[in-house]
Amino acid sequence: MIEISASCIGCGKCLSACPFGALSMDGKLAKINEKCTLCGACVQACPVAAITITRKDEAADLSAYKDIWVFAELSDSPGGKTVRPATHELLSCGRRLADELGQKLCAVLMGHNVSALADTLASFGADKVYLAEHEALSEYSTDACSTVMVALISKYKPNAVLYPSTYIGRDLAPRVASELYVGLTADCTGLSIKDGNLLQTRPAFGGNIMADILSPSTRPQMATVRPNVMKKNEPKPGAKAQVIRESVALDKNAARVKTVERCVDQTHGTGSIAGAGIIVSGGRGMKNKRGFEMLSELAEELGGAVGSSRAAVDMGLMPKSHQVGQSGTTVSPKLYLACGISGAVQHIVGMSSSEVIIAINKDPSAPIFNVCKYGFVGDAAQIAPKLAEAARKLKKGKSCRPA
Amino acid sequence: MNITVCLKQVPDSTQVKVDPQTGTLIRAGVPSILNPYDHFALETALALKEKTGAQVTAITMGPPQAKSVLRLALALGADRAVLLCDRAFAGSDTWATSYALAKAVKKLGKTDVILCGMMAIDGDTAQTGPGIAQQLRLPQITFCESVSVTGRKLAARKLIDGGHEIAEANLPVLCTMVMPHGYAPAQPSFLKIAQSQEKPLESWTAADIGADENLTGLKGSPTRVDRVYAPPQRKRGEVFQGTSAELTEKLLAILEKENFISHD
Amino acid sequence: MPALDTISRGLMLDSLREYAKRKIPFDLIRELDQKNEFPADILEEMYNHDILGIHLLLIPREHGGLGGSTVDIYRVCEALARIDLGIATSVFATFLGTDPLRVGGTEEQKSRWMRRIAQDNLLVAYGATEADAGSDLVNLRTRAEHVITDGKLSGYKITGNKQWISNGGVADLYTILALTPGGPSWFLVEKDAPGFSTDKHEDKHGIRLSNTAGLSLDEVVVPADRIIGGVEGQGLVQAQAVFGYTRLMVASFGLGCGCEAVETAIRYSQQRIQAGGPLSKKQGYTHKLIVPHMVKLEAARAFIHETALRLDGEEHGLQTEGAIGKYYATEAGNAAAEDSIQALGGYGYTRDFPVEKIKRDVKIACIYEGTSEIMEMTIYRGRWQEHLKSRGQFYIGMAAEMDALHSRQPDCGADSAALGLRALSVVLEECRAQRLTRHQHVTFKLGEIIAGAEVAAAFCRAAAAKEYNEGVRFDREAALAMSRVCARQTAFDTASQGMKLVLGAGTGNAEELSRAAGFAAIMDKTRGITDDMDLIAAKINETFRPK
Repeated sequence: MIEISASCIGCGKCLSACPFGALSMDGKLAKINEKCTLCGACVQACPVAAITITRKDEAADLSAYKDIWVFAELSDSPGGKTVRPATHELLSCGRRLADELGQKLCAVLMGHNVSALADTLASFGADKVYLAEHEALSEYSTDACSTVMVALISKYKPNAVLYPSTYIGRDLAPRVASELYVGLTADCTGLSIKDGNLLQTRPAFGGNIMADILSPSTRPQMATVRPNVMKKNEPKPGAKAQVIRESVALDKNAARVKTVERCVDQTHGTGSIAGAGIIVSGGRGMKNKRGFEMLSELAEELGGAVGSSRAAVDMGLMPKSHQVGQSGTTVSPKLYLACGISGAVQHIVGMSSSEVIIAINKDPSAPIFNVCKYGFVGDAAQIAPKLAEAARKLKKGKSCRPA
Repeated sequence: MNITVCLKQVPDSTQVKVDPQTGTLIRAGVPSILNPYDHFALETALALKEKTGAQVTAITMGPPQAKSVLRLALALGADRAVLLCDRAFAGSDTWATSYALAKAVKKLGKTDVILCGMMAIDGDTAQTGPGIAQQLRLPQITFCESVSVTGRKLAARKLIDGGHEIAEANLPVLCTMVMPHGYAPAQPSFLKIAQSQEKPLESWTAADIGADENLTGLKGSPTRVDRVYAPPQRKRGEVFQGTSAELTEKLLAILEKENFISHD
Repeated sequence: MPALDTISRGLMLDSLREYAKRKIPFDLIRELDQKNEFPADILEEMYNHDILGIHLLLIPREHGGLGGSTVDIYRVCEALARIDLGIATSVFATFLGTDPLRVGGTEEQKSRWMRRIAQDNLLVAYGATEADAGSDLVNLRTRAEHVITDGKLSGYKITGNKQWISNGGVADLYTILALTPGGPSWFLVEKDAPGFSTDKHEDKHGIRLSNTAGLSLDEVVVPADRIIGGVEGQGLVQAQAVFGYTRLMVASFGLGCGCEAVETAIRYSQQRIQAGGPLSKKQGYTHKLIVPHMVKLEAARAFIHETALRLDGEEHGLQTEGAIGKYYATEAGNAAAEDSIQALGGYGYTRDFPVEKIKRDVKIACIYEGTSEIMEMTIYRGRWQEHLKSRGQFYIGMAAEMDALHSRQPDCGADSAALGLRALSVVLEECRAQRLTRHQHVTFKLGEIIAGAEVAAAFCRAAAAKEYNEGVRFDREAALAMSRVCARQTAFDTASQGMKLVLGAGTGNAEELSRAAGFAAIMDKTRGITDDMDLIAAKINETFRPK
């Protein structure tokens, strides 16, 4: 419910802030029409706080909220904007949930000249794509994106909305959840349906405990989902989704936070751990930069990337972009080779979904041995170079074999 | 200029254990600390105070023992502290917490910069900061490594996926702070601690901040914990011992078996 | 400056621990221990007002300090001991050194010197001990002769040697005990006084980070205003006045060192797998090397805290209580450290692990500030008077209090504590009736027994209390189990040792004595002690985890 009180001074700021043309001046006072999506942009813009939106009292009929939505986060690529892989995971997961509920899977795509990406979203299972295009959305902006998200949700009433637990997702989702007064669960590692509700599973206390969360009485149910945990389906090329275009009249200068400069790490891309299939990771036990050079050589032989525990980053041996763990990146490679890493809980949560974990550590009582498939009690600084050498010889040997 | 810092007292999550039978947290012997991200936010605020002469107010929502993080803030240099303490706040999730803190900030009067830690190390949600910003209808800059203020403009170096960016906003603005690696939280001297006893520390109830009781505590929280349990234990695999040479041979054999050695 | 509250104390301990974590890591301590080196720069930082300013806690507010209460100071002493007993001793020496000033100084002296110590961060040393005067200060040889100028007393000329003085070679200010014509008196001597010199840093078994040195005073002349209190002969009274406090501080040292050692052993035992499981789950190991020590240390903690609160309340003196605390806690700490080496096996025997150093360090706590034997004697003397004055009702009264406590809290072991105290009363009566206290051995042994019985009672009180003191890390279930174990064990020790003493030194019928002492009832109550120890071992593993 939205109301304009008598404190309205007729300044008209709300009119220019509204992306949907839902406000007009009725004499000296502002008036709201049926185009209003309850996005809240006018509330923000009003200098005398004359506009209020109340959401709690809506004795909502929860069953009116249908469909699983996924916020399609985009990232930069040489050819322009592309869909971030985390979104594929969310769509795969969302497809499962939608099927179980007998509802649709929809993606929310915001940007500037991004309509072609709807096909990618469809290939991962989206039945519908809500598309909002505007220059003001060409880069992520809290104000612009949350306004559009709130508008879409208020208008189309989804059952649940999933966001990736990335810097963008964790900036956007709480803003939207707060405006709408709905439940939001952070950094989920598991999602399922329980009694018609979305059961959201997530770690807390640095990974020491798991919690199952419900948002039983508010809709939509919102969650940010940890990347590299949910299984990604094989894309179905050629799949098509229904595209619903939402026109938004945003003011590209209205965003209150402006980006002045953007720097992407050179290490992003090759060597980045996020998507690597093989990760050779080092901890305190590697002792110094030479130790990590050895791991780098080994990683090269195996065709993998180099990761690091928090201890090694704190020691200045590796940059933070390579840190695996609760306060670093979560990875799920096919092989995780932990060298000189003790295996504190904070690290384990960042790599426990690796397919095969192998650990090398001098200390037989190191906790890492409790989670690995194969453990080697020895000095990684000795074994890593020997292994790199042996792997090199093996490959040479094979290439010399007769055809 | 007025800076408000939102603090949270948390159990040191690196020491928390879960009873594998009951799935509940074992808190005996686990010390309570100031959430490290908030500690950094506080130090950031105090550094701004040093440069600009701003007044720094620390606020926290918690039980009476949360007073000690406020006293720590005062000892480190904050000018004023407020404890939000009321049974009505018990069981608050991030929405209800943001609501109460936003109300408290409103009651404080003019605030130019609000700093929060990026997340609390018990809840790990990172939702409360943006929630406060939304409730106050302020711009937000999240995951900041550092901030600076010139006149009425705040600039922040913040993290983005794959790197960082410099963002700017006019005051008032809310920023959430990430810790630099190897961060060692500053500790006050004994003298400053004693002197902190004389700095203003008030306790406010839900009524004091004009909070709607339906929007606070368990009642006001849209999320519910269904259950908590210990994380699944992975089975311990095979562990080998031997000389470096023996272990290398064994490891190589395993990598071949598991198809990790790339063949030409 | 306001009186420090509990939150301030907590914050100070946090700051101290954080400082130690960053600036005094174990590797550094181990190196300094090896080199026998006093860490002057660390002490300087700790005294620096902007970093910690730890000495301010020991100086009254009116003289520029923070005026820490007894609880504040003992908690800090405990924390310091956990870091390194040598560093703790150095800080403590400043406290000890200023004691004569604190209790005996004129207002002018206090104001002038305390203020300087506070502001200029002076290290102070307490110069009492001599080659022939350790436990027995009456043998004091250092002399202070009158210096007369124009027919008036203008100063004193001090000659003599002091031995084993903590901070001896590094202090800025010394309080020296010397024999004036009017009797032993304390003098304030500055380090650069002509004729004053210090010997080399002793090569000691432990607390090697503490500078211990002999002092040499060769006709050192000090102005008349340097005699503390301005009156001759007050020296021993001034020294004794603060024994309650100083003994409690050393008790905290024993507690801190002991806890640090046991906790190291616990963490090790959780990770050390032998014969299919961790040592922390093996009764033969835990019930010998871990549980009994944790119980004694927690009992010591309860007694120390209770006494500290009394000193911060309206009570003064409490020298006997101080002695009980010091004796019990330092012996408990020493025993805990010994068994912690055992608990770590071969690893405990190497310098890589801290326990062998803690054992070397904590031994001094049974020697300085009054040896354990002097404590036994002091305890005996203090309590023997009470026993006589009350016509044998002193411990009967205490037992009745325990009975009342038992009815309020039946699971804290107070019933056993009561039985033990009654047995003690019987033993003391026998000693009186048979005049057994003419044997010095009997009196010292009584001191030992008395200490145990009183500490056990204090532990019952603490475990039964609604709220536990801030140093307790265990939950209620664990604390009550520990108190029960302590009470039963102590009652048994009190009765059996006491009876052995009486029968050994005197005459009497063993069976009658046993009946009078209620020995059968005491034995009966030991039922369940093994289950309690199992519970305690489980709780210990829950509360402490590998770092």
